[in-house]
Amino acid sequence: MRCLALVALIACGHSGPAPAPIKFLHTFSPDETELFNAIMVEQGLPVEAKLAPFARGQQVIGEMLRAGKNCPDLIRIDATWLPGLAPQLAPAPAGNEWLPEAAVSDVAMPETIDGLVVVRDAAAPAPASGSVGDLVAAARAAKHAERKFPLGLRVDGYWLVPWLRAHGGELQPAGLGEIGDTRATDALAEFAHLFGDVTAPPPPSGEEAPEELRLWTSHDVAYWVTGPWQIGALKDRERLVVSSLAGAPRGGQLLVVPKCARDPAAGWQLARVLTSVEVSKRFAEAFATVPTRKDALAASPALVQQIYAALQTAKPLPRSPVTPLLFDDLNPALAAVVSGDATADEAIAGVRRGWARLTR
Amino acid sequence: MRGLRWRVLLVLSLAAVVPTVIVGVLAILRARHDVQDEVQRGALAHIRALGAALDGTLQDSRRTVELAAATWADAPDDVRARQLLQRRLRREVPIVKSLSLLSPDGALIDGDPVPAGVDIGSHSFGGYIGDAVFVDERPLVHLVVQARSRTGELIGVVVASLDLGFVHDVIAAARLGPGARVLVVDGAGVPVATSDMAWPSPTSLAGKDPVVDRALASTVEGTLSGNGMVSAYRNLSSYQSLRGVRWAIIHQQPEDQAYALARTTTRDTLIIGIVALALALAFGAYFATRLTRPLSDLARRADAIAAGQSTEGPPVRGPGEIGELGNAIDEMAKRIAERAELAAALARGDRLASVGVMSAQVAHEINNPLTTVLGYAKLLLEDKPDGHPDRNGLELIAEEAERMKKIIGGLLEYARAPRQSEPATVPATGSIAIGSSEPAAVVRHVAALVAPQLRKAKASLVVEVPDQRAVSIEAHALQQVLVNLVQNAAQAGATRIAIATKPAPGAIATIITVTDDGPGIPAADRARVFDPFFTTKAAETGTGLGLAVCKHLVAVAGGTIEVGEAADSHGAEFRVTIPVA
Repeated sequence: MRCLALVALIACGHSGPAPAPIKFLHTFSPDETELFNAIMVEQGLPVEAKLAPFARGQQVIGEMLRAGKNCPDLIRIDATWLPGLAPQLAPAPAGNEWLPEAAVSDVAMPETIDGLVVVRDAAAPAPASGSVGDLVAAARAAKHAERKFPLGLRVDGYWLVPWLRAHGGELQPAGLGEIGDTRATDALAEFAHLFGDVTAPPPPSGEEAPEELRLWTSHDVAYWVTGPWQIGALKDRERLVVSSLAGAPRGGQLLVVPKCARDPAAGWQLARVLTSVEVSKRFAEAFATVPTRKDALAASPALVQQIYAALQTAKPLPRSPVTPLLFDDLNPALAAVVSGDATADEAIAGVRRGWARLTR
Repeated sequence: MRGLRWRVLLVLSLAAVVPTVIVGVLAILRARHDVQDEVQRGALAHIRALGAALDGTLQDSRRTVELAAATWADAPDDVRARQLLQRRLRREVPIVKSLSLLSPDGALIDGDPVPAGVDIGSHSFGGYIGDAVFVDERPLVHLVVQARSRTGELIGVVVASLDLGFVHDVIAAARLGPGARVLVVDGAGVPVATSDMAWPSPTSLAGKDPVVDRALASTVEGTLSGNGMVSAYRNLSSYQSLRGVRWAIIHQQPEDQAYALARTTTRDTLIIGIVALALALAFGAYFATRLTRPLSDLARRADAIAAGQSTEGPPVRGPGEIGELGNAIDEMAKRIAERAELAAALARGDRLASVGVMSAQVAHEINNPLTTVLGYAKLLLEDKPDGHPDRNGLELIAEEAERMKKIIGGLLEYARAPRQSEPATVPATGSIAIGSSEPAAVVRHVAALVAPQLRKAKASLVVEVPDQRAVSIEAHALQQVLVNLVQNAAQAGATRIAIATKPAPGAIATIITVTDDGPGIPAADRARVFDPFFTTKAAETGTGLGLAVCKHLVAVAGGTIEVGEAADSHGAEFRVTIPVA
């Protein structure tokens, strides 16, 4: 009888239902996804992970949360999406010592810090200051016959922000409206004028990231305005020096649990794993990802700590539900000016009309 | 020695077969693993190619619609140009199922009604492709493209519904392996097309098929084996770049069919390996036997030698050191035989020497009274006239006494001859000394001596003796030898006797042959004819000492005497070889 009882006990012990996987909707890059999957296997965490399309993430996730069906237990979002999604998110647990630069919120757990910094070739002289003017001056001084375009920039509204802020503007409809005189136009014109002057003409759409990497690797670029997401891909890290850029935008990635989550506790459990020192360190080592916890930053490579230091002077974008939508109109306008299809005045006028629709 | 063969086989097995088997097994496992890897790589390569075709079609369609949208945005109020653009777009992009031109606010400006569920809102970075939808069980995908003017300002939105039948067509045209199928799922895991069904069911496979889950969770490609299936998956990257769609293409094949080649290769390799191993063992056994056979022969030969048995036998042949060892053992056996023969001869010589001494003493003691007997017998005969009744008896006494003196003389002669084991330079009695003689002269003298006896026996003597170098034997001794041989031939009944001489090869000796046409000497007796007291003659004519004396005389001179059959197989031939002086 004892044996029968033991067998029954063992049988019962193995017949229980497997734990339901944690549903995770993320925005990792392909390489980051592979590392994440490997870590989950190592940790033994059952996770059903899916990739959210970054470009339409705020909209797709917002629709999903508003519908309240098939909600994930945890979502990784860009910090700029938070204002638009906050009403559908569950409160975040407190506890960790976050870095002051992390986008801390009551409904989110900060996972990474990012933004724009200046990556300088160690052989090139440092700009006199972190201002965009001194950066351009240093780049112009570095021009020579074999390095015609020493400054690396991207035709993207995110990259325009330091120049906009240098002219007293801000990336928000009101900001443009307030400086309806010539400051936004001047910033856009100045930024666009750099292409073909100290910055190489832009590559075809969609080729920006690999082209920038190629220019840096071939030493065509001495000063490169970029973010940790691209620094992590660099092989010759000893060659580079990271410094700050005045007025640069700073953001990051957040982990949020929707109110409609089937298992919020499981979601936060996964969030704690992703923000742990061990996992943060692995992401930092692999992709130069800046962690959000003090102890995780201390355990990260020196390069990551350099990036963090450079981001301390960067400034977050305005926290508004429309902020991420502003790039929809700003990016084509910027591309039109850079390509010479439109003047800065024409482009800013169109942006203003587009942004007016957003705020109607 | 049988054990040696097995030990050699064991060594061969350990040294060659075992490593070969180990290496073979490892090679088979490696080959199987490689073939399986190749199968998976092949599946990946296949879906890469299929994915590239799908990507190309969709990307071309997207770019064409984007270009059309930009054209429209440059002249948004030109109705004729707008309609012309729509016609061209439908013609150039055949997968366009419906086309709608909308204002930035979403109002329909031209074209087909906007399909349900299409989001034309902002924050799409110029457009996107939605997930698959099914209309009348046919998969469609909605392409949303913002129409922006020269300055980048949003003028309108183009919504094109694309018929995904081309996905099915591309997959259906693929040449797949036995039992294999290809499946394309959208980001929600809904099958868009499969190679084994006309149109798939619009039910998501997410959470039902582990491969679909793995493919959707991954952002690149990979393989998965399980549940008897070998699967390869890959994200359709260009679809992902369109922001909003992240589809996957999956290749699945039953494991037994996918790895059929690996199984066949393993089986064939095993068969070939086993056959090769069996052949190797067979050859190994053959060569082990061949290698150990000379050793076995050597062992048997050594055992025979050790047991005192015959050392005769065929030479032991073998390769290299074994052959040399066989030769050495043969040489050793030969030496042992010679030593044994020598020892036997010495023993026999000692025995004969003792007999000779005793016989000489007896003969000496008997010779004197016998002389007296013979003298008185002859004296009495002189007194008895012919016909006297005592005369026959006296003659018989005298004859027998003569015969007895002859025997005694032979004994004394044998006894006086030096033994073979004694140094030839030291004569036992001094009657025979080492000297030299000319064979031709000796032979001619012998012919004269035996002529009366031969005439009486009605035999002839032929002499063919050219003048030659002197030989190292006393003339008296050589004469005694030849006389003895000729007399024996005559007594044996020969009618023709010949003496011939010739130089031995190298001219280091002279060969003297005495042949006759008598009855010859039986082969069984030839080895014993030189033994003392061995005779084939009648008791009254032979003492058995003549040839023994001849042998000793020749041996003392450093020569040899042999007996054989005459060249014409009739009669006997004695061959005396004496070194030249």
